[in-house]
Amino acid sequence: MVIIGENIHVIAKEVSTAIRERDAKVIQDLARAQAEAGADYIDLNVGPVKKDTEETMEWLVNTVQEVTDLPLSIDTLNPVAMEAGLKACKRRPLLNSASGKSLSKEQMLPLAKKYNCDVVISVMTDKGMPPDVESKVESIMDTVAYANELGIPNEDIWVDTILLPISTAGEGQRFTVLNLEFIKILEDVLPGVKSTVGLSNTSSGVPDHLRPLLNRTYLVMLERNRLYSAIADPLDKELMSLARGEMPEIVELIYKTMDGEDVNLSSLSQKEIEYVKTAKVLIGATLYSNAWLES
Amino acid sequence: MEYKAPVEAYTGVVREVTIGKGKKSLKIGGENILPFHVFDQGSNPNPAKFALEVLDMKPEDWPEHLVEPFWDVISDPVKWAKKCQDFAVDAVSLFLMSTDPAVKNAPADKAAALAKEVAEAINVPLIVYGSGDEKKDVEVLSKVAELCDGMNLLIGPALKENYEAVGKAILDHGHTAIAQTPLDINLLKELNVKLSKFFPPDRIVIDSLSPALGYGMEYGFSLMERVKQIGIMTKDSMTMMPIIANIGGECWKTKQAKENKEQGLLWEGITALSLLLAGANIIVLRHPETLKLVRETIKAR
Repeated sequence: MVIIGENIHVIAKEVSTAIRERDAKVIQDLARAQAEAGADYIDLNVGPVKKDTEETMEWLVNTVQEVTDLPLSIDTLNPVAMEAGLKACKRRPLLNSASGKSLSKEQMLPLAKKYNCDVVISVMTDKGMPPDVESKVESIMDTVAYANELGIPNEDIWVDTILLPISTAGEGQRFTVLNLEFIKILEDVLPGVKSTVGLSNTSSGVPDHLRPLLNRTYLVMLERNRLYSAIADPLDKELMSLARGEMPEIVELIYKTMDGEDVNLSSLSQKEIEYVKTAKVLIGATLYSNAWLES
Repeated sequence: MEYKAPVEAYTGVVREVTIGKGKKSLKIGGENILPFHVFDQGSNPNPAKFALEVLDMKPEDWPEHLVEPFWDVISDPVKWAKKCQDFAVDAVSLFLMSTDPAVKNAPADKAAALAKEVAEAINVPLIVYGSGDEKKDVEVLSKVAELCDGMNLLIGPALKENYEAVGKAILDHGHTAIAQTPLDINLLKELNVKLSKFFPPDRIVIDSLSPALGYGMEYGFSLMERVKQIGIMTKDSMTMMPIIANIGGECWKTKQAKENKEQGLLWEGITALSLLLAGANIIVLRHPETLKLVRETIKAR
C-alpha cells in the first residue's frame, strides 16, 4: 500500500500560518516526521493559493525537498499553483487532482501530460458526484478515455472514488459499501489504472478519538479489494502497521467480518472487538451511530 | 401453474411498551412484521393507537374550526382532557407549552401539578410533552415525573442534550420515556444506545419528529420506514422501540390547515395515515374528526 502523507494541509492552522509566514521549520518538521514514519509520498494540500501563487508553490516544494527525497503530491484545484508546484519537483510528482469536470479536463489533465507525471483523477463530473457504482464506472471510463487521448496512459492514472463521511445521515453507510465495491472492480474495468482514496474523509464528523479506528479498518478492507494507495495519516502508527501487514490477526478478523462470518466476540480482546464492530458498520451490517462501539 | 404469493418472516420484534397503570394502561408496539404487512408471517398485537392533544394554556393562534370541538373547555386543560374521552381516544397528550421560556416561562411546579390533575381526571394514560427547551425541560419534566410518581406516564422529549437528567427522573419515578432526535437515524440510534445504558429499553418510545404533509413529511416518512426495517428485518436492538408521531401541532400550523376545516382535517389525516404506513405506533392528533376519519379509513381497508 502506497501511503501519501496528508499532514501538510492548509486546513491545519499551523500549516496555513507557516506557509503565509514562510516558516520553513514547521513544514520541514511535518515532512520529516511523515517520511520517518514510512510515508511513500508527501501531499502538499495548499488550497487555492490566491496570493503570490507561483512564488509560494516554489518555496513550499523546495522547503520540503530540502529535508526529504520522497516524491510529492501537489494537491490544489488552482491550475497555476499546480503547474508551479509540478515544475519545482525534483522527482516525478503526483498531480492531485483532476476530475471529469470540463474545467479540470481542460486545465489539469494537459499539465499531467506536459510534466509527464502521475495523476489522480476523481469520479466527479460536471453532473456532480455519481450516486452509485455503475455511474462511477461510467464517469471514470469517460474521463480516463479523455486522458488517454491526451497521451496519458492508464498506468499513470490513480483513480479516486471520493469517500464520503460515514456519519452523513442515513446515506454515509451506503457510500462506504459502494466504494468498496467500486475499488474491487476498478482494475477489471480499466486494466492498468491505479487507485487512491482520501481515507480520512470516511471519518469526518465522527468524534476525534474514534476517527483512527474507522480509518484503519476501512484501509484494511479497501486494501483487500486491491486499493493501490491512500492519502492518509502516516503518523498513525497502528494504521501504518496494518498497511505493512504487521497485524495479521486483526486483518483476518476484519476479513471474516467482511465475509459475513459470525465472529464470536466473547473470545476476543477489547481491541479486536472494536475492529469487528467497526468493520460491521463499514460493510453496512449494523446501522451506524457515533456510539457504534457501545452497543 | 398456480401463483403463490411469497410470505416473508422477520427476525426482529419491536418492544412492547406499556404506558399507564392498571385499568388506565395501554400497550404499544410489539409487532414483528413491517407496517400493515398482514400478509407476512407474524403479527402486530397492538395496532395503531391515537391520542388527542391538550394544551396547558388557551391556544391563541388556532383557527376557529380547530377550537370548535372544544370551545367550551379550551381554557381549562383538565376539562379539555376529559372531553377528549368522548372521542374514544387511547390516550391524552398534554403539551406543557406555557413552560417555554419563549412563551410564558410558567414554573415547573405549576406545570407538574396540572399534569397530575389531568392524569387523575382521565381514564386513559397520559402523555406529557415538555416545551422542548432543553434546559427548562430538565426542571419541568423532572418535577412532572416526581409529582406523578408511579403513574407510568409517557414523558418527553429526552434529547441528546438532557437525556441523562430527564431520563433519570423518568426512571426513578416509574415512567416511560420519549427519546427525541431531529430526523436523523444515526443520531436516533446513538441516543437510544446512550439512554439504554441506564434506562430499560422496553420503556423507551422513539420520537423521530414528524413534519406535516407538504412541509417535509417525506423525511419523517423515510426515516420511520428505515427505523422499522432496520429493527424488524436486521434485528437492530437499538431501533426496536415503538414510535410516536406527534403531528397535531405540525399539521395545524400550516396555512392549508388553517384555511378551512375540510382541508385541515385532510391535512392532518393524510399525514397520520402516511406515517402509520411508515410504522408509527401511536399518533398524537389535534382534531377529533381527524381521529374518526383515520380510524374509519383503516377499518375500511
